[in-house]
Amino acid sequence: MSDIFTIALLQNTLRTATPIILAGLGVLMTDHVGIMNIGMDGMMLTGAFFAVVGSFYLGSWLGGIAAALLAGVLLGLFFGVFVIKLGSDEFIIGVALNIFAGGLTVYLLRTIFGVKGAFSDPAIVPLPRFVWPWLEGIPVIGPLLSGNTLLVYVSWALVLVCWLVIYRTPLGFWLRAAGEHPLSLRSAGISPERMKYLASLLCGVFAGLAGAHLSLGYLTMFTENMSAARGFIAVACVIFGAGSPPRVFLAALLFGFIDALGLRLQSANVNSNLTAMAPYLVTVVMMAVLVVRTEARKKRQIQTR
Amino acid sequence: MMRLLRSLLPGRRKLGFAYLFSLAISVALALLLGALMMRLTGYSPVEGYAALVKGAFGTRRALGNTLAKAVTLSMTGLAMAVAAQAGIFNVGGEGQLFLGGMAAAIVGSQLTGWPAAVAVPLAFVAAITAGGLYALLPGVLKVRLKVNEVITTIMLNSVAIYLCAYLANGPLRTADKGIAAGTNAIDPAYVFPRLIPLSNLTASAVYAAVLALLCWYVMKRSTIGYEMKLTGQNPRFARYMGMKTDRLILWSMAASGALCGIVGLFEVYGLHRRFIPSLSNEFYFDGMLVAMIMRYDPVGIVLMSVFFAMLKIGGTAMELGVGISSELILIVQSIIIFFMAAQSGLARIVRERRGRRAARRRIEGKNVPQGEATS
Repeated sequence: MSDIFTIALLQNTLRTATPIILAGLGVLMTDHVGIMNIGMDGMMLTGAFFAVVGSFYLGSWLGGIAAALLAGVLLGLFFGVFVIKLGSDEFIIGVALNIFAGGLTVYLLRTIFGVKGAFSDPAIVPLPRFVWPWLEGIPVIGPLLSGNTLLVYVSWALVLVCWLVIYRTPLGFWLRAAGEHPLSLRSAGISPERMKYLASLLCGVFAGLAGAHLSLGYLTMFTENMSAARGFIAVACVIFGAGSPPRVFLAALLFGFIDALGLRLQSANVNSNLTAMAPYLVTVVMMAVLVVRTEARKKRQIQTR
Repeated sequence: MMRLLRSLLPGRRKLGFAYLFSLAISVALALLLGALMMRLTGYSPVEGYAALVKGAFGTRRALGNTLAKAVTLSMTGLAMAVAAQAGIFNVGGEGQLFLGGMAAAIVGSQLTGWPAAVAVPLAFVAAITAGGLYALLPGVLKVRLKVNEVITTIMLNSVAIYLCAYLANGPLRTADKGIAAGTNAIDPAYVFPRLIPLSNLTASAVYAAVLALLCWYVMKRSTIGYEMKLTGQNPRFARYMGMKTDRLILWSMAASGALCGIVGLFEVYGLHRRFIPSLSNEFYFDGMLVAMIMRYDPVGIVLMSVFFAMLKIGGTAMELGVGISSELILIVQSIIIFFMAAQSGLARIVRERRGRRAARRRIEGKNVPQGEATS
């Protein structure tokens, strides 16, 4: 047992939770304006691919992030135009976007790098890793805070920023109003459409960051379909978190933990297929539990009234 | 009564002439964009598309493979449509397919030496039960607890695929050392005969034809299909009309899962003769795309499946012959959806703008003489 519950487990938790946190924040943005972004998985995947392209050709991790952000923003805008301007079904566009991203990344992988399956090369510059020796002396917290890659810290900061912006600024108020009462927002002189576009673009930005962390964070490679339904887990996290960034953060940490635990158990000779199943199974169970609990709370409120 | 019901339904979901026209334009534009991508990545589009068509229909064997792919696509597409008709999105067909295939493989490999006329129907029952029950799970969560079915079905896909991989590598693994991973082979007597030698087209096409007819009848001609449609479009109204909407949703979900389970059986009994962990390569998602493009119309799905099957089978030939990655086909297919969505969106915007202009003209036309009269 002591082999499994180690500091490395917690470190892996942070590592695997980070793309889900970033993607979750993106989904959260569109969720607040009333759009469910099923296409997050594909956006992340595209971000991951272009992060590798940028890092490989520009020779710097900043180039990688820039390319991932550009791809994310373009896809966010694309998604926004269809769902907001053209009034298409967000579910259909999301599914089509995922298929498009799956096809595009593999096609480009094949035509740009001439490989199938996975691409890794020493010329891909990974994200910088911050090691602070003075911190590492502190037990438990030290090794967790030190030695992570850039986007891990960025994701923590962004959780705070998102919470502040959404709940403490006029802009966040407008964003939420665009989803809940678009007509009142319009009568207040602010265009709900513009807020929705803003949310879609921000969603793309977060998707790009999530993708960059996937391919440049710890692995420094791109593999086909490497997002592995993490975009959907992010959507589930937003549902658990009821739109609140800190709660989405906690939900993502939980999934990171389950994922990391699975990896540890694998080295303890538990079948890898069974451990790989865990995060998905937990999502389903958690969603059911969450809904039952909120329903029960609603019922209690009605009874006490 | 029926006329009243019909008048309340929005009639825009039909596959009218206008819709088919816009579909034709979308397909043409998507193929053009595909050609552009070939050009940009240094290939000749003419050569690419020629290889594609030849690869799909050039030989008897290729034709058989294309038709076999069309069978899979239309079955998975119909599965999506059956659920969507009642207003529930079954994105979990992939997992239901795996479980159905696994259940059928277990029956076929355990019950050896039985007459095929007994064992094969039993395998069907197993596949239908496995797929149907697995689809019922998110259905119950949706109906009873209002849990979003899109997320749960996607999650359950991964659960089923990993579970089957575990079974095929672990407890149910074949003793045959020559097989990388998979269950024991089914009794050779149960294997579906091939309709075109050397191709993938097997007797499953006959079963599929019967099932497609059944789907069409239930969806388009039966009372229950009509009630499903009403439930999908306006559940509140359907409930007020006395329909058991929850039960309709559950049944349509179970039927959808059962169809996917049968596709799994087809793969096992027609092609692989055992369950293998790579039984399906996202077949359900391809079928979903077809169903969405054809607005869940059963006849349309079957026809479109042949076209998509041509792209898929021809795409592989294109990759082997000309070197263009077959994923280009996925891009072309998803672009068709984007074009369809764009066209219907643009048409709506133009309609609204025209309506607004007409209304303004009417108001102005009326106001001017009135203003003159009062002055």
